[in-house]
Amino acid sequence: MSGTVTKRPGPADPAEAKKCADWIVSVAAIRDREAFACLFAHFAPRVKAYMFRFGGNSETAEELAQEAMMQVWRKAHLFDPSKAAASTWIFTIARNLRIDRFRQRKHIEVDDSDTALIVDTDPLADEVVSRDEHAVLVKAAMEELPTDQKIVVELSFFEDCSHSEIAERLDIPLGTVKSRLRLALGKMRGGLEDLA
Amino acid sequence: MNIKHHPTDQTLMDYASGTMSQAMELLVATHMTVCPHCRDKVAEFETMGGAVLENVTRMEMADHSLDHVMAMLERETANENPAVQELPMTRRIAVGESITGSAMPSIPTPLVKFLPDNVLSLEDVPWKTLAPGVKHFQLKSVESKGTVRLMKIAPGVSIPDHGHHGHEMTLLLKGSYIDDIGRFRAGDVADLDDDVDHQPIADTAEECICLIATDAPMKFSGFLPKLLQPFFGI
Ligand SMILES: [Zn+2]
Repeated sequence: MSGTVTKRPGPADPAEAKKCADWIVSVAAIRDREAFACLFAHFAPRVKAYMFRFGGNSETAEELAQEAMMQVWRKAHLFDPSKAAASTWIFTIARNLRIDRFRQRKHIEVDDSDTALIVDTDPLADEVVSRDEHAVLVKAAMEELPTDQKIVVELSFFEDCSHSEIAERLDIPLGTVKSRLRLALGKMRGGLEDLA
Repeated sequence: MNIKHHPTDQTLMDYASGTMSQAMELLVATHMTVCPHCRDKVAEFETMGGAVLENVTRMEMADHSLDHVMAMLERETANENPAVQELPMTRRIAVGESITGSAMPSIPTPLVKFLPDNVLSLEDVPWKTLAPGVKHFQLKSVESKGTVRLMKIAPGVSIPDHGHHGHEMTLLLKGSYIDDIGRFRAGDVADLDDDVDHQPIADTAEECICLIATDAPMKFSGFLPKLLQPFFGI
């Protein structure tokens, strides 16, 4: 076993989440190696765990985590801290790389320069909270979920399984999976409104 | 565009987590192009993905992993040409994919990429007649799981009962139709779960064009001429 498993909590407060965002910005601006090392220390072991859950092999997971971090370096100039928190952005990099490797295709995304794009004419009362603060609120709301709901949310993001496969895995009816998810989403949304 | 019907939260969450079939993803991304509401929701689900990533039990990286990565990046950076850097986030084009459809503002890019190169509008699609008043065009997806096709339905004709199992979504691209759930117009998505019996009917003088994606293969056993009776008097 080459992967010792440790548990360390992620950013608990917005200041720490902002630090991650600042590191990415600094990598983009001045090819800041120290900032990159910090990002690597924080995210690489998490991305490795993510890849491991999908790939089931620690060499592949290691290689993909390295590749994801290289993309963080290469794409740092595309990161916009007003649009996404660091963890959100790196999650999408890991997700897209995973689909690229394991499913041999690109994740299909909206093209922001699409002439058919319809932009929001009525944006939400613009951003009382920053993306970093928001990400921390989401994380806090998720931690508040009852265990059975949290498991369904985690499996939805961290395993390549449909809701019916989650039902099979947990040995519960499909309807229960769906209702737990619905409850979780409702609770997170409600919780966010309370917190925001 | 006044969109009234959206994919369900669970569908948008599957899109954000990257666990849906390519066929479904194509439909969702096409809808998102014209629906800022769903783009916001997906961003929210991606934030949840980031939160799950933060909370995951970490797996230690191999020894010297960072050194190895840094060495490779140093080599790359040494040859870096700033002029070829990708465009910034706000005007991003997916890497390695060209856009053939700049001349067709009405068809969202995700869909354009799945159409033949010479197709400049929905009218140019090489439609195949399936039944009187019903034409279709099957889009090629890389994945074998799921199917996605365009359907063109003449006014007053009902979309044939295609007995789907599993998850099916329909995105209206042109015209409108009506079924038990309500009326669907361009941009609307009908996101149906297993075994919902519905038989949408193109209900205006205009033909109706839609994109239909399924997770399971579509069964065309239901495509019998007797099921294709034109529906008049709507
Ligand atoms: Zn929508």
